[in-house]
Amino acid sequence: MTARKSIPFSRVRRVAVIAGHAFTQLVRMKVFYFLGFFAVIGIASNFFNLPQQSGPEALGDNGMDLLRLIKSWSLGPMTLFSVVMGIVSTALLLPKDVEDRTLYTILAKPVPRLDYLAGKLLGVLLLLFVSLALMDLLMVIMLQVRLSIVLEVQASLGQSRGWDAAAIESLKQDTLAQGPTWALQGAVAAVFIRSAIMAAIALLISTFSSSTLFTTVVSFLIYFIGHFQADARDFYFEGGEAGTSAASRYLAMSVSLVFPDFQLFNVIDAVIQGKTMELVQFVKLALAGLYYVAVYTIASWFVFSDKEF
Amino acid sequence: MKAYRKHVILALGLLAAGGLRMSWEAPLTREFRSDGLLAKPVATGTREKIGQTSAAVALGGLRTLVATFLNLKAFSHFEAREWGELAETYDLIVDLAPNTPYYWTTGGWHLAYNSASDSLTRTDLPALRRREAWRDSICRGRAFYERGARLNPGEPSINAELGTLLSNPNKLVDFPAAAAAYKAAADTGKALPYVRRRECLALARIPGRENEALEMARQLYADPHNRIPVLCCVLFAMECRADPSKNPMKLAISIFGDARSAHDQLGDYWVRVRERFPLDGVASALKNLEVILLVPTDESVFNRSLQPKENPDDWFRGR
Repeated sequence: MTARKSIPFSRVRRVAVIAGHAFTQLVRMKVFYFLGFFAVIGIASNFFNLPQQSGPEALGDNGMDLLRLIKSWSLGPMTLFSVVMGIVSTALLLPKDVEDRTLYTILAKPVPRLDYLAGKLLGVLLLLFVSLALMDLLMVIMLQVRLSIVLEVQASLGQSRGWDAAAIESLKQDTLAQGPTWALQGAVAAVFIRSAIMAAIALLISTFSSSTLFTTVVSFLIYFIGHFQADARDFYFEGGEAGTSAASRYLAMSVSLVFPDFQLFNVIDAVIQGKTMELVQFVKLALAGLYYVAVYTIASWFVFSDKEF
Repeated sequence: MKAYRKHVILALGLLAAGGLRMSWEAPLTREFRSDGLLAKPVATGTREKIGQTSAAVALGGLRTLVATFLNLKAFSHFEAREWGELAETYDLIVDLAPNTPYYWTTGGWHLAYNSASDSLTRTDLPALRRREAWRDSICRGRAFYERGARLNPGEPSINAELGTLLSNPNKLVDFPAAAAAYKAAADTGKALPYVRRRECLALARIPGRENEALEMARQLYADPHNRIPVLCCVLFAMECRADPSKNPMKLAISIFGDARSAHDQLGDYWVRVRERFPLDGVASALKNLEVILLVPTDESVFNRSLQPKENPDDWFRGR
């Protein structure tokens, strides 16, 4: 009984050890230096306050646009950094273990190959999580500082122009929606999920690829295919009567079945514009991401399970 | 297991997982789209125009970031007075971020105000062509605002800006359309108080809708926050129009609170002739007020110079 119970725990511990090792390995590659660039981008976004048309009493619009700008400039680099990091670090791990011969030592022990892959992937996900958490923290600090300035200006201008409390409160609520909200945290989580999927895809490719460069290039191609495959699918299916051949339609269908569809994760754009993402919607998005990661990880294990080195 | 067999199984497995995914992914995408969380796909024409790199970035899920950079580019066009390029850039920006009112209001402002004003100073063009360029810019700005308002029905700022443009005496005035735009903005429930007041001011200048304007002016006046000079003046004129038998001076004092305020505010209102506000009873009230306030003749409102009555089209005549 005790032996049976200890199996899952030992497995979890094993995966955790491999994940910790992969994380340490990646941190030693000085990947966190990019945070300096992120901070510069974030600070720079505060200085692009362009002139605009405002109504006679539209005292808060300019500040709200600046908040939107900071979100846009922060979530953009977050997406880029996390996707690049997810793909490149995953692409590096297996070849590096082969090169260092660590892989032979690990696989010579009673370590299931699934545990090895899961550990490596978790290490990368931990790196992505820590990086995004740090970037998120920087973004929230910048937004909060700017938000408090905007609110202060709005309140004093509103009072000086004789606005009633309801009008000032209404503007305050609109402005708060552009600040650090839970929906914004959901958008950051969506960035994480998308990069986690890309890491799982890079893991699958690296199980049969022999070079880091190949894995990286193909993964980026898949990333872009994932963003426009829905359009291609619509074009082929809706264009059936406009002369698209049956073969093209089958090909389009196969592409959309094999490659991920990332358009769901474009909710980030809506959040930047101030839309609210409900918890239920976020949970659905997270489950979709989990499905992708699970499918590509299982596929990786299937390829890797009897691979000979 | 043989390699080819493994590859076939892998491909079939991925296809099966994809098939399973289709059952929930497509409805979820539709749900997110109807909730406004997902925008329509970027149009092919837009992709071609923003260039390969930006298209790749936009396709990579960073549409708002590309829109932000294009907005900076549009500002450079504004500084260089390249209005055609500016209009094209804003079309791209709103294709990428259709739900950001800032881009609609800023794009419309550049076209209807900045580009139109610039065409007034184009001394290299003959008067007729300057006039056409001026009209064309305003119409493009109006169309831009209207498109934005259609795509963002719950957002008051775009309609409010449209109303401001359409009731501006230095542009192409269209009070019925201005009143409709202000109404649409105010009806969202999120507009600032001035929007409803401006709806009333626009209505007051539409022949045949004076009674509607009077009702609205009375309702607005009931809230002390709305008692700004122009609204009080319009209410006064509409009341005089509705019932010419009323004593204008007494009415003015009751609306403005005292004779001095009534005189000052109606005096300023009297000279704003270009804005085409109703003037019923104003002259009579001012004359009586000047008598009781002992205003010297040389300080009389009637000796003040009025706003020039010229129509914007006159600017191009004979120049």
